[in-house]
Amino acid sequence: MIEVSNISKQVKTTEGTLTILDGINLSLSAGESLAIVGPSGSGKSTLLGILAGLDLPSSGSVSLNGQDITAMDEEGRAAVRAKTVGFVFQSFHLLPGLTALENVALPLELQGDKEALKTAAYYLQRVGLEHRTTHYPRQLSGGEQQRVAVARAFACRPVILFADEPTGNLDTGTGEKINDLLFDLNKEEGTTLVLVTHEHNLAERCGQRLVIAAGRQVAPSTDVTHVTRGSTA
Amino acid sequence: MQALRMLLRTWRGGQLNLIIWSLVLAVAVVTSVSLLAERIERALTAQSSSFLAADLVVRSSKPIAPEWVAGALQQQVESAQVLTFASMVYHQDDMHLASIKAVEGSYPLRGLLRRTTTPFTTDTSLIEEIDYGPAQGETWVDARLLPLLNIELGDEIELGEIRLTVSQIVVEEPDSGGSYGAFGARVLMNFSDIEAAGIIIPGSRVTYRFLMAEGASGADGFARYSEWMEDQLDVHDRLITPDEAQASIADTMDKGRRFLLLAGSIGVVLAGIALALASHHFAAGQTRQVALLKSWGIAASRVRSLYLQQSLWLGVGGSAIGLLVGFAFSEILIAVVREWLPISLPMAGIRPWITGLATGLLCLAGFTLPAIWHLPAQSPLAVLRDDVKVEPVSSMARGFLGVIAVAALLFWYSNNVYLSLAILAGFGLTTLATVVIGLLMLRVGKTYGEKLGSIWRLASSNLWRRRSQSIIQMVGFSGAIALLMIMSVVRTSLIDEWRWQLADDAPNHFLLNVAPYELEGVRDLVTAQNLETAGWYSMVRGRLTQINGEGITEEQRDKHESFRRELNLSWTTALPEGNKVTAGKWWDELDLSGDIAPVSLEEELAGELGLEIGDLLNFSVGGLIFQARVASTRSLNWDNMTPNFYFLFPEGLLENYPRTSMTSLYIPPQQKLLVNDLLRQYPTVQVIELDKIIDRIRSIVSQVTSGLEVMTLLILSCGVLVMFAAVSLSMSERLQESAILRTLGSSRRLILGIQWVEFSVLGVMAGLLAAIGAEAAVALLQHYMFDLPFSWHPWLWLMGPLAGGLLVGVLGVGYSRKAVTQPPLLVLNSL
Repeated sequence: MIEVSNISKQVKTTEGTLTILDGINLSLSAGESLAIVGPSGSGKSTLLGILAGLDLPSSGSVSLNGQDITAMDEEGRAAVRAKTVGFVFQSFHLLPGLTALENVALPLELQGDKEALKTAAYYLQRVGLEHRTTHYPRQLSGGEQQRVAVARAFACRPVILFADEPTGNLDTGTGEKINDLLFDLNKEEGTTLVLVTHEHNLAERCGQRLVIAAGRQVAPSTDVTHVTRGSTA
Repeated sequence: MQALRMLLRTWRGGQLNLIIWSLVLAVAVVTSVSLLAERIERALTAQSSSFLAADLVVRSSKPIAPEWVAGALQQQVESAQVLTFASMVYHQDDMHLASIKAVEGSYPLRGLLRRTTTPFTTDTSLIEEIDYGPAQGETWVDARLLPLLNIELGDEIELGEIRLTVSQIVVEEPDSGGSYGAFGARVLMNFSDIEAAGIIIPGSRVTYRFLMAEGASGADGFARYSEWMEDQLDVHDRLITPDEAQASIADTMDKGRRFLLLAGSIGVVLAGIALALASHHFAAGQTRQVALLKSWGIAASRVRSLYLQQSLWLGVGGSAIGLLVGFAFSEILIAVVREWLPISLPMAGIRPWITGLATGLLCLAGFTLPAIWHLPAQSPLAVLRDDVKVEPVSSMARGFLGVIAVAALLFWYSNNVYLSLAILAGFGLTTLATVVIGLLMLRVGKTYGEKLGSIWRLASSNLWRRRSQSIIQMVGFSGAIALLMIMSVVRTSLIDEWRWQLADDAPNHFLLNVAPYELEGVRDLVTAQNLETAGWYSMVRGRLTQINGEGITEEQRDKHESFRRELNLSWTTALPEGNKVTAGKWWDELDLSGDIAPVSLEEELAGELGLEIGDLLNFSVGGLIFQARVASTRSLNWDNMTPNFYFLFPEGLLENYPRTSMTSLYIPPQQKLLVNDLLRQYPTVQVIELDKIIDRIRSIVSQVTSGLEVMTLLILSCGVLVMFAAVSLSMSERLQESAILRTLGSSRRLILGIQWVEFSVLGVMAGLLAAIGAEAAVALLQHYMFDLPFSWHPWLWLMGPLAGGLLVGVLGVGYSRKAVTQPPLLVLNSL
């Protein structure tokens, strides 16, 4: 499902070239889950962006669902994202002018789905927010906003779901509930899940874990499978 | 449809409010002004036709050719003949040199005659408006003829061989408005009585008028006929158009119209700035949404298409609302100025609507599109990282596009180069000054602000830290203030200029031809009525006999009446008030000791007579010949109702010739009979009555002024919108900072104090900078457009910073009060 071969990422700064990622390799099959863990600034979010086709590596290749997205132009990657990928963000990224229902329906509407509102209502019901469909984000609690974001991500029926610190902005209790929801839906929908997290508990629930520090893969923990060391590591 | 749905949701979310209001206001201002201008234009054409009593007139010194009449009949064009001449009318032993006007049955072709059966009444309910003249055998006369001849309505007066029954008092003729030449009391009679009266013989001094108006053949038929007519004219004939007929009010109306145009143009620019600021603000808020769309796999081309479609919907929708609001507003304006407009105000054509719609779309293209153009290039990675932001189109490029849009709008809309350039120059200068001086002032403010208290220190360093935003805001503020200043100054000078017309005691009668031995008596008569004159001026009557040593030809005599009759020659040392030397030199630059005296001519007359600087003229005064050389030409101010002279000489030349005196004075309606006493005691004195036309001007001026006030209000609201747009630019950042300060326990006083200092400092600076641009633009406008003298406006430099500081300060603090009235978390969450 996801094949990552020896990717690295450098950026130019005023103080010279900065290496953010270096020699990352991984392989993830359909329906599996992967946690990318590591301290702040270790390059987790950059890696997630590259895996999701939001950004390009400086070298190496990423293949999603059998398609090498690093060889594509932005339009090509956009097409892959549209068909394959869903997102849940740390800061929810709900559109403030849209109701919960409209927020969930928007990506479906943009794909031309005539049943967008119906599907959106179904997923809102799946996350337990059927009574909040007409509420605006500002009228919802943090946990509720993230549930709307989860409903939005799953409503598009993505093959792979990327989640960037999905519970980073929530208290522990609410975070747990969101995690449960994420994993339950993931299981039910058969989605491949890639998430970035600080939380040990959340990482533990994933089938695979990739630990990175200062942009490099560090020695994997015993329960991590299919992760191989890059040749430069 | 997806784009429309997204647009409606964004609107509902409140993010589009400023853009929509700016757009609606821009379109509304342009539509209302265009609608009003066009309807008034059409009304004025109708009005000015009524000044002429026709759509077109030929004035001639020879009888109207029968083929003209036949041609009009054949081409289905309405026509009427009018004769005017002076003749004695009698009743028993009394007589009067009356001003006779003989009219055909179809007179007046445009406008209405006003008549009454109650002499000297001003009660409008007793005055009847009709569209025909007296029947055969009847006459309608000026009220003052009744006491002059000791007659009553129903009596008969003698004119030549016939007797006419005085059946009505004529109060007003539509075509008497522009004429200052009616010396005797009016006797209006039927054209068909002329022959029987036997008073017109070859050589009689009669003015023939042939009135024409659009008839059954419509505008095309009329145009064809008038073209044919123009080819028939010879040196004896002169074509008079409606524009010339209403010369006496044309200036007021023209300036009123120009002001309307200026106000409208300023409104467009203001709404444009508001739109630019609002779009900038809107685009900044859209970057995350675009990143989100792109993270979902929406391609950049689709994002662009979505935003372009939304812009189009926005343009069409906003313009549609703007057109409606503009229509409503024009109706309000028309209600205000209705009195002086004809009862049936013509509907406007399609042009104002097209102008309004085009304004909306052009504003959007010039201001909104450049602001959102970069959005599709936004990287989807921004959903994960806040620091990934695409650079917007550079401020320089956006400014350039905005200026092009504004310039295009201004030129197209005003069709006036000076006005457009003046506004652009004023605004450009203000912007430049804001960027250069504004930055400097912010820097100085930061240096010295640090030495002041905490509020000042924080505020001045905030302003410096956010300097690019501060400058953009200042451009908005100063631009708005400058444009409002320009409008206010021009409006004030116009109203000041018109004030004399509004004054109740503006001179409304001229007394001419007062002989030296009569002067004392006439003065006493006037003084006995407690009336004051505008001073007495002496003049000598003389003929122009030679130009550069050559006698006046027959052709010249036919061409201009100044070659046929005696001219009024006067003298003065100083250039009279309202006069301006347009060519040559005034006395003070000339050597007056030479043998040949200099003469200064009114410039239009000089042009009509074909006279140029340096021409040698021979004048004959009572058979005595003297020479003068044309030394200068002057423009005159005809509006001030004080005596003006076509020919002026230096003192010491004419004093010894037989002279007469003239003056102007105000005679109130209840003392109008003074004119009769005066004429009875001094029959050779000429009285020119301007009271009716002055009343007309006065009512027009006061209505135009009210119209200007209403327009000013609309433009003010545009200005306030710009202020709102500029204030809201930095608001989320400010609220965030304030909320954080609040969280850290800062007092309400500190937070509001910082906002107050920041905004009022911005306002004061903007007001000061605005004064620079406004003063420059006003100087250009006054000189080139309104023909007003240049003057400094010290109050701009005082009021600009004061009003700017207060207005912007209040707006800014009002806007940011949320930061102290709501819990900080709520504020942060709502951002």
